[in-house]
Amino acid sequence: MKIVDAVKELTSTYRSLSEVARGLPVDADEVAKALAKASPDSEEATALRVLASFNPVVKPTAKVQVEIKD
Amino acid sequence: MALPNKILPGFSAALYAQPTASPTPLTTAALSTVATVSALAIPANLLPVEAIPAFGQDDAVASFSVAGSRQSDKIPTQSAPTSMTITAAWNPSDAMLLIIRGDAYSGTVDRTYVISATDGTNTVYYAFNGRVSEFKIDAAPGAESKCTFTVHPRGNQYGWSNTI
Repeated sequence: MKIVDAVKELTSTYRSLSEVARGLPVDADEVAKALAKASPDSEEATALRVLASFNPVVKPTAKVQVEIKD
Repeated sequence: MALPNKILPGFSAALYAQPTASPTPLTTAALSTVATVSALAIPANLLPVEAIPAFGQDDAVASFSVAGSRQSDKIPTQSAPTSMTITAAWNPSDAMLLIIRGDAYSGTVDRTYVISATDGTNTVYYAFNGRVSEFKIDAAPGAESKCTFTVHPRGNQYGWSNTI
């Protein structure tokens, strides 16, 4: 689902934001990027913050090389 | 739902209502956005209430029963909106009180209400959509005329916000 559509749905609903956001399939990275661009004091940012709480960006952890000693 | 990140050591509260007879209440996202909420919290929208009652959510139980069944069911809910019974000095010329009285006559008008709590510097807003009922005027001759009404918030339609 496009972020624009998800934000549009969240900013027009009268239902619980958490309830609606939980059911919106969005990409976590796109949400984070959109939130960084959004004005913090806007309805869009409010919607994106709720989306981000259900779609956290998971950073890949670096693999540590393990030496195997005989 | 975002909670306010300000702690006010002591504060004064005020109640505001959206103006006009047929308002479009704020959406849930707008209720949590300080820019849209603070735009309603202006002196022209102030309701002259004597005191702000407890507001927010409270525990509650939803009861269900089926005809013919020997036992009913009670389901605990953790976030029932608190109805607020409000007393205000009755002024028949106050435009906002007349709007509230009109809402009570109708019973189906959804309106956005804003409670602001401020310590003079920071402000926390609790905004919700609600309907009004039970508008009564107490015109006892020995005291100042008062009106009493109850605001019933709509489920899920509330939001907290605060100035930074």
